[in-house]
Amino acid sequence: MAGPAIELTGVRKAYGGTVALGGADLAVAPGSFVSLIGPSGCGKSTLLRLAAGLEAPDAGSVLVLGGTPQAAAAAKRIGFVPQSPSLLPWLSVLRNVTLPRKVNRGAARRGAAGRGEPPDPAGLLRRAGLGDVLDRLPAQLSGGMQQRVAIVRALALAPDVLLMDEPFSALDEMTRESLQDQLLGLWALQRATALFVTHSVAEAVRLSDRVLVMAAHPGRIVAHVDIDLPRPRDAEMLASGPFHDYEDRVRGLLRDAWSAPDAA
Amino acid sequence: MPPDPRPGRRRPAGPRPRFLYPGLWLPFLVLLAVLGGAWTWAARTWPYLLPPLPKVWSSLAGHPGYYASNAGTTLGEAALGLAIGGGVAFALAVLTSEVAVARRAVMPVAVVLNVTPLVAIAPALVVAFGFGAVPKVVITALICFFPILINTATGLRSVPAAIVAVYRTVRASRLEILWHLRVPSALPFIFASLRIATPLTVIGAVVAEMAAAGGSGGLGTVIATASSGNQLPVVYAAMAVLAVMGVLLLLIVTLVERRALRWHESTRE
Repeated sequence: MAGPAIELTGVRKAYGGTVALGGADLAVAPGSFVSLIGPSGCGKSTLLRLAAGLEAPDAGSVLVLGGTPQAAAAAKRIGFVPQSPSLLPWLSVLRNVTLPRKVNRGAARRGAAGRGEPPDPAGLLRRAGLGDVLDRLPAQLSGGMQQRVAIVRALALAPDVLLMDEPFSALDEMTRESLQDQLLGLWALQRATALFVTHSVAEAVRLSDRVLVMAAHPGRIVAHVDIDLPRPRDAEMLASGPFHDYEDRVRGLLRDAWSAPDAA
Repeated sequence: MPPDPRPGRRRPAGPRPRFLYPGLWLPFLVLLAVLGGAWTWAARTWPYLLPPLPKVWSSLAGHPGYYASNAGTTLGEAALGLAIGGGVAFALAVLTSEVAVARRAVMPVAVVLNVTPLVAIAPALVVAFGFGAVPKVVITALICFFPILINTATGLRSVPAAIVAVYRTVRASRLEILWHLRVPSALPFIFASLRIATPLTVIGAVVAEMAAAGGSGGLGTVIATASSGNQLPVVYAAMAVLAVMGVLLLLIVTLVERRALRWHESTRE
Protein backbone atom coordinates (compact mmCIF):
# COMPACT_ATOMS: atom_id res chain seq x y z
CA MET A 1 0.00 0.00 0.00
CA ALA A 2 1.32 3.36 -0.99
CA GLY A 3 -0.19 5.95 1.37
CA PRO A 4 -0.96 5.80 5.06
CA ALA A 5 -3.44 3.16 6.24
CA ILE A 6 -5.38 5.71 8.28
CA GLU A 7 -5.35 9.38 7.39
CA LEU A 8 -7.27 12.19 9.03
CA THR A 9 -7.01 15.70 7.62
CA GLY A 10 -8.42 18.73 9.43
CA VAL A 11 -11.08 16.63 11.12
CA ARG A 12 -13.58 18.46 13.31
CA LYS A 13 -16.37 16.88 15.28
CA ALA A 14 -18.76 18.50 17.73
CA TYR A 15 -21.60 17.06 19.80
CA GLY A 16 -24.09 19.82 20.36
CA GLY A 17 -21.98 22.72 21.56
CA THR A 18 -19.08 20.58 22.74
CA VAL A 19 -16.17 20.41 20.34
CA ALA A 20 -14.82 16.86 20.68
CA LEU A 21 -12.20 17.28 17.97
CA GLY A 22 -11.04 20.65 16.71
CA GLY A 23 -8.97 20.01 13.64
CA ALA A 24 -7.08 16.74 13.95
CA ASP A 25 -4.42 15.63 11.47
CA LEU A 26 -3.11 12.12 11.64
CA ALA A 27 -1.40 9.62 9.39
CA VAL A 28 -0.76 6.04 10.44
CA ALA A 29 1.72 4.08 8.34
CA PRO A 30 0.64 0.60 7.22
CA GLY A 31 1.62 -2.12 9.65
CA SER A 32 2.51 0.24 12.49
CA PHE A 33 1.09 0.35 15.98
CA VAL A 34 0.00 3.81 17.09
CA SER A 35 -1.46 4.75 20.47
CA LEU A 36 -3.60 7.75 21.33
CA ILE A 37 -3.19 8.98 24.87
CA GLY A 38 -4.66 12.00 26.59
CA PRO A 39 -6.96 13.24 29.34
CA SER A 40 -10.68 12.48 29.30
CA GLY A 41 -12.54 14.64 26.86
CA CYS A 42 -9.59 15.00 24.47
CA GLY A 43 -11.56 13.25 21.74
CA LYS A 44 -9.45 10.12 21.46
CA SER A 45 -12.46 7.81 21.43
CA THR A 46 -14.19 10.12 18.96
CA LEU A 47 -11.17 9.91 16.70
CA LEU A 48 -11.30 6.12 16.84
CA ARG A 49 -15.03 6.05 16.12
CA LEU A 50 -14.46 8.32 13.12
CA ALA A 51 -11.84 5.93 11.78
CA ALA A 52 -14.24 3.04 12.33
CA GLY A 53 -16.91 4.80 10.31
CA LEU A 54 -19.22 4.84 13.33
CA GLU A 55 -19.36 8.65 13.18
CA ALA A 56 -19.02 11.15 10.35
CA PRO A 57 -16.79 14.24 10.69
CA ASP A 58 -18.33 17.73 10.64
CA ALA A 59 -15.38 18.93 8.58
CA GLY A 60 -12.20 17.45 7.14
CA SER A 61 -11.68 14.01 5.69
CA VAL A 62 -11.14 10.53 7.08
CA LEU A 63 -9.48 7.97 4.86
CA VAL A 64 -9.00 4.32 5.78
CA LEU A 65 -6.97 2.16 3.39
CA GLY A 66 -7.28 4.88 0.79
CA GLY A 67 -11.10 4.99 0.84
CA THR A 68 -13.92 5.88 3.16
CA PRO A 69 -14.14 4.08 6.50
CA GLN A 70 -17.54 2.80 5.38
CA ALA A 71 -15.99 1.13 2.35
CA ALA A 72 -13.29 -0.46 4.51
CA ALA A 73 -15.95 -1.67 6.93
CA ALA A 74 -18.09 -3.05 4.13
CA ALA A 75 -15.09 -5.11 2.97
CA LYS A 76 -14.53 -6.25 6.58
CA ARG A 77 -11.06 -4.79 6.62
CA ILE A 78 -11.62 -3.10 10.01
CA GLY A 79 -11.39 -4.93 13.31
CA PHE A 80 -12.97 -3.03 16.19
CA VAL A 81 -12.40 -3.78 19.87
CA PRO A 82 -14.60 -1.69 22.18
CA GLN A 83 -13.92 -0.79 25.80
CA SER A 84 -16.19 -3.52 27.17
CA PRO A 85 -15.89 -7.05 25.73
CA SER A 86 -19.38 -6.70 24.19
CA LEU A 87 -19.91 -10.40 23.63
CA LEU A 88 -23.34 -11.85 22.94
CA PRO A 89 -24.31 -13.64 26.16
CA TRP A 90 -26.26 -16.44 24.45
CA LEU A 91 -23.47 -17.47 22.07
CA SER A 92 -20.50 -19.64 22.93
CA VAL A 93 -17.01 -18.16 22.80
CA LEU A 94 -16.40 -19.74 19.40
CA ARG A 95 -19.69 -18.57 17.92
CA ASN A 96 -19.08 -15.06 19.25
CA VAL A 97 -15.89 -15.06 17.22
CA THR A 98 -17.41 -16.54 14.07
CA LEU A 99 -20.62 -14.49 13.89
CA PRO A 100 -18.99 -11.28 12.55
CA ARG A 101 -17.48 -13.38 9.77
CA LYS A 102 -20.89 -14.76 8.86
CA VAL A 103 -22.80 -11.47 8.64
CA ASN A 104 -22.45 -9.22 5.59
CA ARG A 105 -21.72 -12.02 3.16
CA GLY A 106 -21.11 -9.64 0.31
CA ALA A 107 -17.91 -8.43 2.01
CA ALA A 108 -15.67 -10.90 0.18
CA ARG A 109 -16.69 -9.42 -3.16
CA ARG A 110 -15.92 -5.92 -1.97
CA GLY A 111 -12.62 -6.97 -0.42
CA ALA A 112 -9.26 -6.15 -1.89
CA ALA A 113 -7.96 -8.74 -4.29
CA GLY A 114 -5.25 -11.04 -3.04
CA ARG A 115 -6.36 -11.19 0.58
CA GLY A 116 -5.50 -14.59 1.91
CA GLU A 117 -7.79 -17.05 3.64
CA PRO A 118 -9.06 -15.71 6.96
CA PRO A 119 -7.45 -17.39 9.95
CA ASP A 120 -9.09 -20.36 11.64
CA PRO A 121 -11.10 -18.93 14.57
CA ALA A 122 -10.64 -21.94 16.82
CA GLY A 123 -6.91 -21.87 16.12
CA LEU A 124 -6.71 -18.20 17.01
CA LEU A 125 -8.66 -18.78 20.21
CA ARG A 126 -6.29 -21.59 21.14
CA ARG A 127 -3.34 -19.35 20.49
CA ALA A 128 -4.93 -16.80 22.83
CA GLY A 129 -5.09 -19.44 25.55
CA LEU A 130 -8.82 -19.93 25.15
CA GLY A 131 -8.74 -23.44 23.69
CA ASP A 132 -10.45 -24.95 26.72
CA VAL A 133 -13.36 -22.56 26.74
CA LEU A 134 -14.50 -22.61 23.10
CA ASP A 135 -17.95 -23.86 24.05
CA ARG A 136 -18.40 -21.80 27.21
CA LEU A 137 -20.74 -18.87 27.47
CA PRO A 138 -19.18 -15.43 28.05
CA ALA A 139 -20.68 -15.19 31.56
CA GLN A 140 -18.61 -18.21 32.54
CA LEU A 141 -15.34 -16.42 31.75
CA SER A 142 -13.32 -13.87 33.71
CA GLY A 143 -13.21 -10.27 32.52
CA GLY A 144 -9.71 -10.73 31.11
CA MET A 145 -10.74 -13.81 29.16
CA GLN A 146 -13.80 -12.04 27.79
CA GLN A 147 -11.63 -9.19 26.56
CA ARG A 148 -9.29 -11.70 24.91
CA VAL A 149 -12.30 -13.17 23.09
CA ALA A 150 -13.20 -9.66 21.93
CA ILE A 151 -9.69 -9.18 20.54
CA VAL A 152 -9.76 -12.56 18.79
CA ARG A 153 -13.19 -11.68 17.38
CA ALA A 154 -11.59 -8.67 15.68
CA LEU A 155 -8.45 -10.54 14.56
CA ALA A 156 -10.47 -13.43 13.15
CA LEU A 157 -11.55 -11.07 10.38
CA ALA A 158 -7.86 -10.75 9.39
CA PRO A 159 -8.41 -7.00 9.36
CA ASP A 160 -6.01 -4.59 7.71
CA VAL A 161 -6.82 -2.03 10.37
CA LEU A 162 -7.27 -2.84 14.03
CA LEU A 163 -9.04 -0.18 16.10
CA MET A 164 -9.04 -0.59 19.90
CA ASP A 165 -10.81 1.67 22.37
CA GLU A 166 -9.20 1.27 25.82
CA PRO A 167 -9.77 -2.49 25.72
CA PHE A 168 -7.87 -3.13 28.95
CA SER A 169 -9.06 -0.20 31.03
CA ALA A 170 -11.42 -2.28 33.17
CA LEU A 171 -8.82 -4.90 34.06
CA ASP A 172 -6.45 -5.16 36.98
CA GLU A 173 -2.75 -4.45 36.50
CA MET A 174 -1.57 -8.09 36.30
CA THR A 175 -4.24 -9.13 33.83
CA ARG A 176 -3.51 -6.01 31.85
CA GLU A 177 0.16 -6.78 31.37
CA SER A 178 -0.53 -10.37 30.42
CA LEU A 179 -3.11 -9.24 27.89
CA GLN A 180 -0.69 -6.71 26.43
CA ASP A 181 1.70 -9.62 25.95
CA GLN A 182 -0.95 -11.66 24.21
CA LEU A 183 -2.12 -8.77 22.09
CA LEU A 184 1.42 -8.14 20.87
CA GLY A 185 1.84 -11.83 20.13
CA LEU A 186 -1.37 -12.02 18.13
CA TRP A 187 -0.72 -8.71 16.42
CA ALA A 188 2.72 -9.87 15.30
CA LEU A 189 1.06 -12.72 13.36
CA GLN A 190 -0.93 -10.42 11.11
CA ARG A 191 0.71 -7.04 11.47
CA ALA A 192 -2.49 -5.12 10.94
CA THR A 193 -2.22 -1.36 11.23
CA ALA A 194 -3.24 -0.73 14.84
CA LEU A 195 -4.75 2.36 16.42
CA PHE A 196 -5.01 1.97 20.17
CA VAL A 197 -6.70 4.35 22.60
CA THR A 198 -5.42 4.21 26.17
CA HIS A 199 -5.19 6.05 29.49
CA SER A 200 -2.02 4.31 30.52
CA VAL A 201 1.42 5.70 29.69
CA ALA A 202 3.20 2.38 30.25
CA GLU A 203 0.71 0.59 28.04
CA ALA A 204 1.09 3.12 25.24
CA VAL A 205 4.90 2.98 25.32
CA ARG A 206 5.02 -0.78 25.50
CA LEU A 207 2.64 -1.48 22.63
CA SER A 208 3.39 1.29 20.18
CA ASP A 209 5.71 2.34 17.41
CA ARG A 210 4.37 5.84 17.92
CA VAL A 211 2.48 7.50 20.76
CA LEU A 212 0.25 10.47 19.97
CA VAL A 213 -0.42 12.81 22.88
CA MET A 214 -3.74 14.62 22.85
CA ALA A 215 -5.11 17.62 24.75
CA ALA A 216 -8.69 18.61 25.50
CA HIS A 217 -10.93 21.65 24.91
CA PRO A 218 -10.96 21.30 22.02
CA GLY A 219 -9.64 17.80 21.41
CA ARG A 220 -6.43 17.89 19.39
CA ILE A 221 -3.16 16.06 18.85
CA VAL A 222 -0.36 18.06 20.44
CA ALA A 223 2.73 15.88 20.17
CA HIS A 224 4.05 12.55 19.06
CA VAL A 225 6.78 10.30 20.39
CA ASP A 226 8.33 7.57 18.27
CA ILE A 227 9.13 4.56 20.41
CA ASP A 228 12.35 3.13 19.05
CA LEU A 229 12.55 -0.06 21.10
CA PRO A 230 13.07 -3.52 19.63
CA ARG A 231 10.26 -6.08 19.64
CA PRO A 232 9.23 -8.37 21.21
CA ARG A 233 9.00 -6.16 24.26
CA ASP A 234 9.11 -8.49 27.21
CA ALA A 235 8.96 -7.99 30.96
CA GLU A 236 12.70 -7.34 31.09
CA MET A 237 12.38 -4.39 28.79
CA LEU A 238 9.56 -2.95 30.90
CA ALA A 239 12.11 -2.48 33.67
CA SER A 240 14.85 -1.08 31.43
CA GLY A 241 16.20 2.46 31.41
CA PRO A 242 15.23 3.38 27.83
CA PHE A 243 11.67 2.23 28.47
CA HIS A 244 11.44 4.50 31.51
CA ASP A 245 12.90 7.39 29.55
CA TYR A 246 10.11 7.05 27.00
CA GLU A 247 7.54 6.84 29.76
CA ASP A 248 8.90 10.02 31.31
CA ARG A 249 8.82 11.85 28.01
CA VAL A 250 5.21 10.89 27.31
CA ARG A 251 4.25 11.76 30.87
CA GLY A 252 5.91 15.15 30.54
CA LEU A 253 4.06 15.86 27.28
CA LEU A 254 0.80 14.85 28.91
CA ARG A 255 1.48 17.26 31.78
CA ASP A 256 2.08 20.06 29.28
CA ALA A 257 -1.11 19.12 27.50
CA TRP A 258 -2.98 19.36 30.79
CA SER A 259 -1.61 22.73 31.76
CA ALA A 260 -1.67 24.22 28.25
CA PRO A 261 -4.08 27.13 27.98
CA ASP A 262 -7.18 26.09 26.10
CA ALA A 263 -6.72 26.74 22.41
CA ALA A 264 -10.04 27.73 20.79
CA MET B 1 -37.58 -3.50 32.59
CA PRO B 2 -35.60 -6.61 33.38
CA PRO B 3 -37.58 -9.77 33.92
CA ASP B 4 -38.19 -10.29 37.60
CA PRO B 5 -36.03 -12.80 39.39
CA ARG B 6 -38.06 -15.81 40.21
CA PRO B 7 -37.82 -17.07 43.74
CA GLY B 8 -38.79 -20.68 44.11
CA ARG B 9 -37.36 -21.62 40.73
CA ARG B 10 -34.08 -22.56 42.23
CA ARG B 11 -34.07 -26.26 42.91
CA PRO B 12 -32.67 -27.62 46.13
CA ALA B 13 -29.11 -28.76 45.78
CA GLY B 14 -28.49 -32.35 44.83
CA PRO B 15 -30.44 -34.79 42.71
CA ARG B 16 -32.99 -35.77 45.37
CA PRO B 17 -36.60 -35.32 44.19
CA ARG B 18 -38.78 -32.52 45.54
CA PHE B 19 -41.09 -34.63 47.70
CA LEU B 20 -38.21 -35.55 49.96
CA TYR B 21 -38.20 -31.96 51.19
CA PRO B 22 -41.39 -31.52 53.22
CA GLY B 23 -40.32 -27.94 53.90
CA LEU B 24 -41.18 -27.14 50.32
CA TRP B 25 -44.73 -28.46 50.11
CA LEU B 26 -45.91 -28.85 53.68
CA PRO B 27 -46.67 -25.16 54.37
CA PHE B 28 -48.81 -25.03 51.24
CA LEU B 29 -50.74 -28.17 52.23
CA VAL B 30 -51.33 -26.84 55.75
CA LEU B 31 -52.66 -23.56 54.37
CA LEU B 32 -54.87 -25.49 51.95
CA ALA B 33 -56.34 -27.52 54.80
CA VAL B 34 -56.98 -24.38 56.87
CA LEU B 35 -58.68 -22.64 53.96
CA GLY B 36 -60.77 -25.74 53.23
CA GLY B 37 -61.92 -25.85 56.87
CA ALA B 38 -62.80 -22.16 56.83
CA TRP B 39 -64.67 -22.64 53.56
CA THR B 40 -66.72 -25.55 54.89
CA TRP B 41 -67.62 -23.62 58.03
CA ALA B 42 -68.62 -20.52 56.06
CA ALA B 43 -70.67 -22.55 53.57
CA ARG B 44 -72.58 -24.15 56.45
CA THR B 45 -73.17 -20.82 58.20
CA TRP B 46 -74.19 -18.72 55.16
CA PRO B 47 -75.49 -21.01 52.40
CA TYR B 48 -75.65 -18.15 49.87
CA LEU B 49 -72.05 -17.07 50.38
CA LEU B 50 -70.23 -20.24 49.31
CA PRO B 51 -71.30 -23.66 48.08
CA PRO B 52 -70.16 -26.68 50.07
CA LEU B 53 -66.96 -28.09 48.59
CA PRO B 54 -68.38 -31.62 48.10
CA LYS B 55 -71.11 -30.15 45.91
CA VAL B 56 -68.57 -28.31 43.80
CA TRP B 57 -66.65 -31.52 43.43
CA SER B 58 -69.69 -33.61 42.55
CA SER B 59 -70.67 -31.08 39.91
CA LEU B 60 -67.21 -31.42 38.40
CA ALA B 61 -67.10 -35.20 38.71
CA GLY B 62 -70.67 -35.61 37.48
CA HIS B 63 -70.25 -33.60 34.30
CA PRO B 64 -66.61 -33.80 33.24
CA GLY B 65 -67.48 -33.58 29.56
CA TYR B 66 -69.50 -30.41 30.08
CA TYR B 67 -66.66 -28.62 31.84
CA ALA B 68 -64.03 -29.99 29.49
CA SER B 69 -65.77 -28.86 26.33
CA ASN B 70 -66.46 -25.39 27.73
CA ALA B 71 -62.88 -25.16 28.97
CA GLY B 72 -61.77 -26.16 25.48
CA THR B 73 -63.80 -23.33 23.97
CA THR B 74 -62.32 -20.77 26.37
CA LEU B 75 -58.82 -22.13 25.91
CA GLY B 76 -59.16 -22.03 22.12
CA GLU B 77 -60.26 -18.39 22.23
CA ALA B 78 -57.44 -17.52 24.61
CA ALA B 79 -54.81 -19.30 22.50
CA LEU B 80 -56.00 -17.80 19.22
CA GLY B 81 -56.19 -14.35 20.79
CA LEU B 82 -52.70 -14.72 22.23
CA ALA B 83 -51.33 -15.84 18.87
CA ILE B 84 -52.94 -12.92 17.01
CA GLY B 85 -52.36 -10.26 19.68
CA GLY B 86 -48.84 -11.45 20.36
CA GLY B 87 -48.00 -11.72 16.67
CA VAL B 88 -49.23 -8.22 15.90
CA ALA B 89 -47.51 -6.86 19.02
CA PHE B 90 -44.20 -8.47 18.00
CA ALA B 91 -44.42 -7.15 14.46
CA LEU B 92 -45.24 -3.65 15.69
CA ALA B 93 -42.45 -3.82 18.26
CA VAL B 94 -39.96 -4.60 15.49
CA LEU B 95 -41.39 -1.79 13.36
CA THR B 96 -41.34 0.76 16.19
CA SER B 97 -37.82 -0.14 17.27
CA GLU B 98 -36.50 0.19 13.71
CA VAL B 99 -38.47 3.24 12.58
CA ALA B 100 -38.73 6.21 14.94
CA VAL B 101 -41.70 7.66 13.04
CA ALA B 102 -43.63 4.44 13.53
CA ARG B 103 -42.87 4.55 17.25
CA ARG B 104 -44.29 8.03 17.56
CA ALA B 105 -47.40 6.98 15.66
CA VAL B 106 -48.10 3.62 17.29
CA MET B 107 -47.24 4.13 20.94
CA PRO B 108 -49.93 6.75 21.79
CA VAL B 109 -52.60 4.56 20.19
CA ALA B 110 -51.32 1.55 22.10
CA VAL B 111 -51.42 3.47 25.38
CA VAL B 112 -55.00 4.64 24.75
CA LEU B 113 -56.00 1.05 23.97
CA ASN B 114 -54.34 -0.11 27.16
CA VAL B 115 -56.07 2.36 29.48
CA THR B 116 -59.53 1.71 28.01
CA PRO B 117 -61.24 -0.91 30.20
CA LEU B 118 -61.81 -3.99 28.08
CA VAL B 119 -64.94 -4.78 30.05
CA ALA B 120 -66.32 -1.61 28.48
CA ILE B 121 -65.27 -2.58 24.96
CA ALA B 122 -66.64 -6.12 25.18
CA PRO B 123 -70.38 -5.33 24.76
CA ALA B 124 -69.64 -3.08 21.78
CA LEU B 125 -67.66 -5.87 20.13
CA VAL B 126 -70.51 -8.31 20.74
CA VAL B 127 -72.84 -5.87 18.99
CA ALA B 128 -70.35 -5.56 16.15
CA PHE B 129 -69.35 -9.21 15.70
CA GLY B 130 -72.24 -11.17 17.20
CA PHE B 131 -72.20 -14.05 19.67
CA GLY B 132 -69.63 -16.21 17.90
CA ALA B 133 -65.92 -16.61 18.60
CA VAL B 134 -64.82 -13.37 16.90
CA PRO B 135 -65.49 -10.83 19.70
CA LYS B 136 -63.87 -13.18 22.22
CA VAL B 137 -60.73 -13.57 20.15
CA VAL B 138 -60.59 -9.82 19.55
CA ILE B 139 -60.87 -9.03 23.28
CA THR B 140 -58.24 -11.65 24.10
CA ALA B 141 -55.90 -10.30 21.44
CA LEU B 142 -56.40 -6.74 22.71
CA ILE B 143 -55.73 -7.64 26.33
CA CYS B 144 -52.39 -9.34 25.67
CA PHE B 145 -51.31 -6.88 22.97
CA PHE B 146 -49.98 -4.08 25.16
CA PRO B 147 -47.69 -5.93 27.60
CA ILE B 148 -46.13 -7.90 24.75
CA LEU B 149 -45.66 -4.78 22.61
CA ILE B 150 -44.03 -2.72 25.37
CA ASN B 151 -41.76 -5.47 26.64
CA THR B 152 -40.68 -6.62 23.19
CA ALA B 153 -39.94 -3.05 22.08
CA THR B 154 -37.87 -2.48 25.23
CA GLY B 155 -36.06 -5.79 24.72
CA LEU B 156 -35.25 -5.08 21.09
CA ARG B 157 -33.59 -1.83 22.14
CA SER B 158 -31.72 -3.41 25.05
CA VAL B 159 -28.64 -4.40 23.04
CA PRO B 160 -25.64 -2.46 24.40
CA ALA B 161 -24.42 0.21 21.96
CA ALA B 162 -20.88 -1.23 21.96
CA ILE B 163 -22.11 -4.59 20.61
CA VAL B 164 -24.02 -2.84 17.85
CA ALA B 165 -20.86 -0.81 17.10
CA VAL B 166 -18.83 -4.01 16.63
CA TYR B 167 -21.34 -5.35 14.14
CA ARG B 168 -21.64 -2.01 12.37
CA THR B 169 -17.88 -2.04 11.75
CA VAL B 170 -18.38 -5.22 9.72
CA ARG B 171 -21.39 -3.60 8.02
CA ALA B 172 -23.92 -6.15 9.21
CA SER B 173 -27.27 -5.28 7.63
CA ARG B 174 -30.17 -4.02 9.74
CA LEU B 175 -31.88 -7.33 9.24
CA GLU B 176 -28.78 -9.19 10.46
CA ILE B 177 -28.51 -6.93 13.50
CA LEU B 178 -32.21 -7.47 14.18
CA TRP B 179 -32.00 -11.22 13.85
CA HIS B 180 -28.63 -11.93 15.48
CA LEU B 181 -28.55 -9.20 18.13
CA ARG B 182 -31.93 -7.63 18.86
CA VAL B 183 -34.35 -10.55 18.80
CA PRO B 184 -32.27 -12.81 21.08
CA SER B 185 -31.73 -9.86 23.44
CA ALA B 186 -35.48 -9.34 23.54
CA LEU B 187 -36.30 -12.96 24.44
CA PRO B 188 -36.08 -12.53 28.24
CA PHE B 189 -38.36 -9.50 27.94
CA ILE B 190 -40.76 -11.38 25.68
CA PHE B 191 -41.02 -14.25 28.14
CA ALA B 192 -41.57 -11.84 31.01
CA SER B 193 -44.44 -10.33 29.06
CA LEU B 194 -45.87 -13.77 28.26
CA ARG B 195 -46.00 -14.50 31.98
CA ILE B 196 -48.20 -11.43 32.31
CA ALA B 197 -50.16 -11.88 29.10
CA THR B 198 -51.02 -15.59 29.30
CA PRO B 199 -53.24 -15.30 32.40
CA LEU B 200 -54.67 -12.10 30.94
CA THR B 201 -55.84 -13.94 27.82
CA VAL B 202 -57.95 -16.28 29.94
CA ILE B 203 -59.43 -13.24 31.71
CA GLY B 204 -60.13 -11.61 28.35
CA ALA B 205 -61.84 -14.68 26.96
CA VAL B 206 -64.02 -15.08 30.09
CA VAL B 207 -65.00 -11.40 30.14
CA ALA B 208 -66.04 -11.59 26.49
CA GLU B 209 -67.99 -14.80 27.08
CA MET B 210 -69.85 -13.22 29.99
CA ALA B 211 -70.73 -10.23 27.82
CA ALA B 212 -72.14 -12.60 25.23
CA ALA B 213 -73.57 -15.23 27.56
CA GLY B 214 -75.75 -17.83 25.94
CA GLY B 215 -73.70 -17.75 22.80
CA SER B 216 -71.24 -20.35 21.79
CA GLY B 217 -70.33 -21.61 25.24
CA GLY B 218 -67.11 -21.29 27.20
CA LEU B 219 -66.55 -21.16 30.95
CA GLY B 220 -67.53 -17.46 31.10
CA THR B 221 -70.93 -18.36 29.69
CA VAL B 222 -71.18 -21.24 32.16
CA ILE B 223 -70.53 -18.85 35.05
CA ALA B 224 -72.95 -16.21 33.76
CA THR B 225 -75.85 -18.60 33.23
CA ALA B 226 -75.20 -20.61 36.40
CA SER B 227 -75.06 -17.53 38.62
CA SER B 228 -78.27 -16.13 37.17
CA GLY B 229 -79.83 -19.52 37.86
CA ASN B 230 -78.44 -19.48 41.40
CA GLN B 231 -76.32 -22.63 40.89
CA LEU B 232 -73.35 -21.71 43.07
CA PRO B 233 -71.61 -25.12 42.85
CA VAL B 234 -71.48 -24.84 39.06
CA VAL B 235 -70.10 -21.27 39.28
CA TYR B 236 -67.33 -22.38 41.60
CA ALA B 237 -66.59 -25.51 39.64
CA ALA B 238 -66.08 -23.38 36.52
CA MET B 239 -63.87 -21.00 38.49
CA ALA B 240 -61.77 -23.92 39.68
CA VAL B 241 -61.33 -25.14 36.12
CA LEU B 242 -60.26 -21.61 35.08
CA ALA B 243 -57.73 -21.48 37.89
CA VAL B 244 -56.23 -24.82 36.93
CA MET B 245 -56.11 -23.72 33.31
CA GLY B 246 -54.26 -20.54 34.26
CA VAL B 247 -51.71 -22.44 36.29
CA LEU B 248 -51.12 -24.94 33.47
CA LEU B 249 -50.64 -22.17 30.92
CA LEU B 250 -48.14 -20.41 33.16
CA LEU B 251 -46.35 -23.72 33.66
CA ILE B 252 -46.02 -24.17 29.90
CA VAL B 253 -44.60 -20.66 29.50
CA THR B 254 -42.12 -21.33 32.30
CA LEU B 255 -40.98 -24.63 30.78
CA VAL B 256 -40.45 -23.11 27.33
CA GLU B 257 -38.66 -20.15 28.88
CA ARG B 258 -36.28 -22.40 30.77
CA ARG B 259 -35.33 -24.20 27.58
CA ALA B 260 -34.96 -21.05 25.51
CA LEU B 261 -33.09 -18.95 28.05
CA ARG B 262 -30.42 -21.29 29.37
CA TRP B 263 -27.81 -18.62 28.70
CA HIS B 264 -29.81 -16.06 30.59
CA GLU B 265 -30.20 -18.32 33.61
CA SER B 266 -26.50 -18.91 33.66
CA THR B 267 -25.82 -15.20 33.98
CA ARG B 268 -27.85 -15.14 37.18
CA GLU B 269 -25.92 -17.86 38.94
